Amino acid sequence: MKPLAALLATVALLAVAEPLPSALHDEDIPRILTFGPWPPPLQPDPSNRVWGQPAAIAFGRQLFHTPALSANGRIACASCHQAARGFSDGLPRGVGLARGDRNTLALHDLDLQRWYGWDGANDSLWAQSLRPLLDAREMGGSLASVAAAVRDTPALRQGYRAAFGTEPGADDERVAVDTAKALAAWQATLRSGRTPFDDFRDAVARGDREAAARYPAAAQRGLALFLGRGRCYTCHLGPTFSNGEFHDLGLPHFAEPGRVDPGRHGGIRKLQASRYNLLGPFNDDPAKSTATSTAHVALEHRHYGEFKVPSLRNLRPSAPYFHDGSAASLREVLRHYSALNEERLHADGEKLLVPLHLSPQETEDLLAFLDSLNDTP
Amino acid sequence: MRRLLLAGVLAGAAASAWACGEALGAGTQKLAGEGWQIAWRAAPSPVPVGKHFALDIALCAPAGQPLPAALRVDATMPEHKHGMNYRPSVEPQGTGLFRADGLMFHMPGRWELVFEWRDAGGAARRLAQPLTVQ
Repeated sequence: MKPLAALLATVALLAVAEPLPSALHDEDIPRILTFGPWPPPLQPDPSNRVWGQPAAIAFGRQLFHTPALSANGRIACASCHQAARGFSDGLPRGVGLARGDRNTLALHDLDLQRWYGWDGANDSLWAQSLRPLLDAREMGGSLASVAAAVRDTPALRQGYRAAFGTEPGADDERVAVDTAKALAAWQATLRSGRTPFDDFRDAVARGDREAAARYPAAAQRGLALFLGRGRCYTCHLGPTFSNGEFHDLGLPHFAEPGRVDPGRHGGIRKLQASRYNLLGPFNDDPAKSTATSTAHVALEHRHYGEFKVPSLRNLRPSAPYFHDGSAASLREVLRHYSALNEERLHADGEKLLVPLHLSPQETEDLLAFLDSLNDTP
Repeated sequence: MRRLLLAGVLAGAAASAWACGEALGAGTQKLAGEGWQIAWRAAPSPVPVGKHFALDIALCAPAGQPLPAALRVDATMPEHKHGMNYRPSVEPQGTGLFRADGLMFHMPGRWELVFEWRDAGGAARRLAQPLTVQ
């Protein structure tokens, strides 16, 4: 049976014999199905020649946990990306050698992303992995210091040799980029697990009313709001609950008094100026088959103050939220959407975001739905 | 599964008289105005939300008028008054044929696919296809 025919058959079955639980409607079914199936297979990255290779994955894991790559020898990637916190740090804004401007993003399902970082300044996981190594406020290294650490630390040198089949050479930039590619190879394996929502979604897909009914009623009401009046799905769509793009939520634009965080506008400028973007010389794919977004991305004034639409999977361990870490909890996130300051939104036409004025019950229902997107009880 | 629902109407040409873009094959959408005709086909089809897609396009001129060498393709969300986050590239593929790459509908909703060119007299020409993306 063709996919569309199968979908219609499922919809017809549910519409006639297996109506959805009360808060949801049969017309919601096609959209519910778009949030899965989960988990999807890992997506290869042809721009990284060691993607998927066990030796590179092992080397990447080793690199992620070593402080040897930082300028002071005391900060590892894992210092801020802590596994117990969803590979985030629990802080409003990341703190490496100094305090940064933005919240530390959780690390999961990275192979499914088009842009990396809150501003999307990088178009590959390996370029994004190089950035904090060289950022003065994070690990504070340089191409030379990163390459030297790999060359001069016996365990890292051995890992490099296993991953790349050669000794780290004299070209600092090449060794540093390879280091980032090994880091990316490991991070790309961090797939989040199945969630209660996924069980519900699959039950809907196969017309299993009994299994679908096990999804908590509050989460069902929250999902109905997510798809209905909230219109959350407009940006939080697909299996990762993100369109992978950038939007202005009406949050303050200042990183600190007197200094603006330009968000996506600055991200595109950095991307286009970078030697490490997918149009540059370090893309291992001669066809540059994954560079479509980079080649066509448009820099427009409206991107000022836009930040990445995050995945909604596994939010629980990665508080606080928003690009500036200004929401300590998901309840505060919902409070923001409920009492949105429309004066701060830069919409010329029909406003996509309007204050939701959520009732206490609606807030609890949305929280129940969001909680069902976690892969741990 | 996301589907591109075509809300556009075929303006002008009767289906039986349509000859523009026959080589594009099945799944071709058509629109016309003031004697000009455009046929286009998306790849992949149906167009997914939040993913890049390309268009194969045939542009046909009214009898006796030359074809333009260049075509511009864009898409906007009229209600929200914003366009795509990407600027498509359009490459000529032969007489009246073009390939547009790099398009993306990053949100569901009402979009308008816009084709623009200049005729032999330099006048701006435009045909637009309303679409509802779900």
